[in-house]
Amino acid sequence: MTTWTLILRSLRFHVRSHLGALLGAAVGSAVLVGALVVGDSVRGSLRERALERLAGADVSINSGDRFFDSSLLERTWQSVNPASNAGQSGQISPELIWGGLDGKFGWVGLMLPATAARQDGEARANRINLIGVSTNFFPSRIAIEPGSVWLNASLASQLHAKVGDALVLRTHKPSALSRDAVITPRDDQSVALRLKVAGIAPDAPGNFSMVGGQMLPLNAFMGLEQLGTAAGIVGRANLLTVGGAYTTRPGSFFDRVILWLTSPRLTGLPRSRFRDAVFRSSLAIAVPASSAQQLTNLEQHLKFTWSMRDAELTTRTLRLDASEKSGEPMHLLVELNTSRIFLEAPVVAAALGKEKNGTGDQTGSPGKLTPLTTAVSTVSSEPLVPLGPRANVSTNGIGVLTYLVNLIRAGERAAPYSMVTATGAPWVPADMTDDEILVNEWLAEDLKVRVGDRVELSYYLADSGSQLIERTNSFRVRGVVPLKGLHADRTLMPEFPGIAKAESTHDWDAGFKLTHKIRDQDETYWKQHRGTPKAFITLAAGQKMWSNRFGNLTAIRWLVPTNTSPESLRASIESNTRANLDPEDVGLKLEPVRERALAAANQGQDFGQLFLGFSFFLIGAALILMAMLFQFGVEQRASEIGTLLALGFQPSQVRRLLLAEGVVLSALGAVLGVAGGIAYAKGMLWGLSTIWRNAVGASPLRYHAEPMTLVIGAVAGTAVAALVIWYGLRKQVRQPARVLLAGGEVQGEMIESSRSPASEESLRGSSFAAIGRAGRAGLLSIAVALGLISFAFATSQTSNAGLFFGAGALLLMGGLAFASRFLRRLLRHASVVPSLGDLALRNAARRRKRSLAVIALLACGSFLITSIGAFRLDSDKDALKRSSGTGGFRYIGESSLPVVVNLNTKSGREEFGLDEKDLTGVNFVQMRVRDGDDASCLNLNRAQRPRLLGVEPAELQRLTAFSFAGFAKGFERSQSWGLLAESHLDGAIPAIGDAASIQWALGKKLGDTLDYTDKRGREFKVRIVGAVANSILQGNLIISEDAFKERFPSESGYRMFLIDAPSNDTFAPGLTRAMQDVGFELTPATARLAALNAVQNTYLNTFQVLGGLGLLLGSAGLGVVVLRNVLERRSELAVLLAVGFRRRAVQRMVVTEHGALLLIGLGVGVAAALVAVLPALISPRGEFPLVSLALTLGGVLASGAVWTWIAAALAMRGKLIEALRSE
Amino acid sequence: MPDALPVLRLTNVSKRYSSTDGGGELVVLQGISLDLQGGESAAIVGPSGSGKSTLLNIIGTLDRPSSGQVLLDNEDLSRLDDNQLAAVRNRRIGFIFQGHHLLPQCTVLENVLVPVLATKDASLRNGAEARARRLLDRVGLGARLTHRPGQLSGGERQRVADVRALINQPKLLLADEPTGALDRASAEKLSDLLVELNREEGVTLIVVTHAPHLARRMKRVFELRDGKLE
Repeated sequence: MTTWTLILRSLRFHVRSHLGALLGAAVGSAVLVGALVVGDSVRGSLRERALERLAGADVSINSGDRFFDSSLLERTWQSVNPASNAGQSGQISPELIWGGLDGKFGWVGLMLPATAARQDGEARANRINLIGVSTNFFPSRIAIEPGSVWLNASLASQLHAKVGDALVLRTHKPSALSRDAVITPRDDQSVALRLKVAGIAPDAPGNFSMVGGQMLPLNAFMGLEQLGTAAGIVGRANLLTVGGAYTTRPGSFFDRVILWLTSPRLTGLPRSRFRDAVFRSSLAIAVPASSAQQLTNLEQHLKFTWSMRDAELTTRTLRLDASEKSGEPMHLLVELNTSRIFLEAPVVAAALGKEKNGTGDQTGSPGKLTPLTTAVSTVSSEPLVPLGPRANVSTNGIGVLTYLVNLIRAGERAAPYSMVTATGAPWVPADMTDDEILVNEWLAEDLKVRVGDRVELSYYLADSGSQLIERTNSFRVRGVVPLKGLHADRTLMPEFPGIAKAESTHDWDAGFKLTHKIRDQDETYWKQHRGTPKAFITLAAGQKMWSNRFGNLTAIRWLVPTNTSPESLRASIESNTRANLDPEDVGLKLEPVRERALAAANQGQDFGQLFLGFSFFLIGAALILMAMLFQFGVEQRASEIGTLLALGFQPSQVRRLLLAEGVVLSALGAVLGVAGGIAYAKGMLWGLSTIWRNAVGASPLRYHAEPMTLVIGAVAGTAVAALVIWYGLRKQVRQPARVLLAGGEVQGEMIESSRSPASEESLRGSSFAAIGRAGRAGLLSIAVALGLISFAFATSQTSNAGLFFGAGALLLMGGLAFASRFLRRLLRHASVVPSLGDLALRNAARRRKRSLAVIALLACGSFLITSIGAFRLDSDKDALKRSSGTGGFRYIGESSLPVVVNLNTKSGREEFGLDEKDLTGVNFVQMRVRDGDDASCLNLNRAQRPRLLGVEPAELQRLTAFSFAGFAKGFERSQSWGLLAESHLDGAIPAIGDAASIQWALGKKLGDTLDYTDKRGREFKVRIVGAVANSILQGNLIISEDAFKERFPSESGYRMFLIDAPSNDTFAPGLTRAMQDVGFELTPATARLAALNAVQNTYLNTFQVLGGLGLLLGSAGLGVVVLRNVLERRSELAVLLAVGFRRRAVQRMVVTEHGALLLIGLGVGVAAALVAVLPALISPRGEFPLVSLALTLGGVLASGAVWTWIAAALAMRGKLIEALRSE
Repeated sequence: MPDALPVLRLTNVSKRYSSTDGGGELVVLQGISLDLQGGESAAIVGPSGSGKSTLLNIIGTLDRPSSGQVLLDNEDLSRLDDNQLAAVRNRRIGFIFQGHHLLPQCTVLENVLVPVLATKDASLRNGAEARARRLLDRVGLGARLTHRPGQLSGGERQRVADVRALINQPKLLLADEPTGALDRASAEKLSDLLVELNREEGVTLIVVTHAPHLARRMKRVFELRDGKLE
């Protein structure tokens, strides 16, 4: 006989009475386990989605609007493949084993933003990704035929498209120059593709996306070559994804044993030789390489494999024939230029051998590190030739900046639209000053100018975009150069798109309207000399006028020394440039996308915790019910406990025995709870996929359960249940053994005389005082509550949820205080001839604390689940006020393709054929967009790099749009949006976000920073300096437009618009129609806010439903209380029967007694809650879920009544009269 | 030569209750004094409500006197805390209740061994099972070791309760109406058994009873009337 024997015997013997407690523990554990499994499922689904969207990528390059050569993948494979002669693997650590080119290594793609529409016009989709893919993109190696397109399921669904349907997809042809640049064509920007749907891609890889978020992307897939051809960039790509590498580790003894046991037959070796091979030779085990290992490995390979072409850089040899007349020698030059027109700062620095500093000096003049010799060697230009350490080899390169000047004027004479080159010697004299100009003889003649005359150059600022800001500068003519030799070089003009290939000036598409008259001689000049510059100025002068965010040089030129061949100089320049550049400087930035995506999923919204919170009431109710049932069972064992005490057990020993029983029950309940929890989780997932869909966005949730979660859930369930039982047992086993042996209950009529009459008096006195205190506290609470309500109405703060919630809570406290007082009064109330009803009420007051606990539980529960509705967010509330979540804007607009004009100007509106009259009173706040993770509540992932919006801070400040929830320490509230324009000592860019996004989606707080990478691969920090409250800006971080342009110079145009508009919405259809080619979508701001609010509102609904279930379960507890009360009073009830009352009447008395508790509890709770939710009730939209709440509370009332009736019937079952006899 | 110290000495023991509604004081026991030597047996008789069970509970440390002293082996029990009293009950006092109070979930043998679980004394624990078997054999229940109380007759249950009371070899055995719930024949047998156990185990026995035949078999008989022992 051991203690455990006794415990197990007791459990077995009392199995029936323990069954209820066991079920309670099981329900509690089930809800707990279920909540955790919901967390697992959401996390697992997010992980699945994260891996699905990456289509097998571990590491990727997403170069956006920079296009590398699509052969980069193959070249990289050649490098990583040890079998290849070109492999660099011997020089690179860590060594990794990569898959083949059949898709296991990676794929390249070309991704462009697009819109899609059915050819019959029945459906359209904006903001789609048109992706040109190589055949190894699809695991099944689908080759997409020319003229056909594959869609992912979401896009097919939106377009109602099926195989064979005809679609029109429209995308922008990538522009060599940013569309924000002045000289970039406005026409021929978009290309329409008529394609037939050839198939619907499976989710993996059909849902490929480089952006983390909940929303499934809208993807259309074409062949890489076909898309490249259509977009005019054949052979180019902007996506490269690689993954699936393995690394090796030395095999352990365990590995060898496993290998020996499992694989002898595979090798075909005799067993003894196989054993020797396994145990005596070295053994390497392949294990998947981490993203970090793959990233490091690939970064090293990429340094060898990237080429000038990948950076859109070209070198060429120029032979400028000498004029026969002049007798000048032939000029032999090598030029470095870019199809992007302007050479970026890092490229210039690398080519000229200078330290790269990003935004520093870009004059093209020799820098401090530049060796002053022309270092020419016979370095091979073969891309895979290993490069040595970063070279400081420099050259005597000469920077060239050629720009289109609108007008060159000298007095009354003017020449329109001419190229002017800013450069150094030998094109201009070495001592030429910045205010001097060389004009060619044609221009001198045309303008009738001579040396010493002044000419004026008028030009548009290069990055003034559609604003076309014109400036004029004056120069003194230093000399007139003949139109020959170095000065007759049409290649000085870069390949300006829209101009370079034009046969006639009339064919120019310069990007702006040619307002100056083009004369015949101008046309003739163009035909004869094309873009040959008509004038030359110093590089410094040119850069002062035309420097822009895209770059400061259009070319760098080197004079080929006489002892060197141009080919070797070119090779040397290319080699040096590549050696001095990091691939990321030219957009070839490898990102550990898998690691980042998994981090986003793993750190995402913890639905486990969320559902634990939602289910708190349910868990609490189940555990309280369990504890009540367990205690009830213990109370039935009074004699047994008395016996143990009499036999010499200490009360603590007896409590431990009972607790041990409780722990075993809890553990058993937890085991059952695991099964129940899985069912509960599946139920919740069903809810999240249907009625609570708004809480999780569009992604489907699949069931996932980690074994460890089930174990943790079961252990936690056991622990919590055991804790509750322990708490309940603390007051058990306090009665003396003799009392317990005598039948259990202390009668309470007699107390030992050791208490003095004085203490008796004081006890009574304090009791009276307590009654007084309760009443006074109740009155005070109610008075303050009424005061708050009056104040709210008097000051028109009827939408102040906090005020009303406070009033409701005070009313609840007051109500409970009065309930307590009411019960006390009942006990003291005495009527001479009591009715059964009187008796019932007085009985309710007999176990006052027990009755009050029931009332409080029901009141608090019903108050909580009803009043939580006070926190529902109403998107219509003050929607037109600037301080509201809409910022007072009527619409929010988003376009698939950038809008490069100012829609507030007449010219900008004309660009889209918009009628000025239709847009009267309409104002646009235009925002630049840098795509990133969705950081709104609609994304359950932890956003790693949220979308950035660039806005003009002054505009939002002028409008005083949105309400600020807070500012980072040290930042002035008064500055509000002006904070964005501030610069910070540490270089971090100030940003403002939505408070909810910052807290939940980013897991950050005010003052924190986020790391970003700019277009040139440079890391920079964004500091959150302010947070706006509950707004349509959710999901984004807003920075100043200037900072945006500096960091993302080639992100052209605007893609998001906050729109002020008059109350009539007549302009909306016209605006959408006019801008449909850029995929423009208008959403009412209130609708956007409602969609975002829906997440929080759905959480509240979930809480209300689960809270309601908890309350329902809690009402079953009322049944237990009834059972306890009635069983304790069986003999009393028997007396009533004995004196002639009918059984039904007595039962009715019991039901009345407890029904009163139920009604008081629910009444107090609901009345207080109605006050708390008054703002939601009187809201014009009235989204308050009155019906579901009424059903819930009605259900609780009905359930409580049924349980009470059942308990009363059960307790009065059998021969009650015998209770008298046993007395 | 003075008498040996009594195993049990009660000096002026009183027990009073007062009504919660202030209706005056109820005196249950008044100035009870009593000495019992080791191996002695005594019966306490008296009408219902005379305080017999209260007195037994005070002696058995299940209750405390309002005044007076209870010495067990010359140790003043009023100086002990609840845990020490529990240890006294477990090791030095055996209690036989009117309603046997066996644990219904345990077998006969287990019921007997339950008091052993409350002690940490290894020497007592080690020999407990053998002692239980011997005692059960001794009371004729050797063949019923694995039976549950529900499978036993009233007399048998009472005998199991007797053995349980003796398992920790107490010096004092208290029996509260041990035959009250038994038929005549069973009551006779139990009376025999108690007397035998008193004699053979050398335990001091106090029996509270209404049954004259049982009282007569005790060496000393006390009558409790109006709270006083006569």
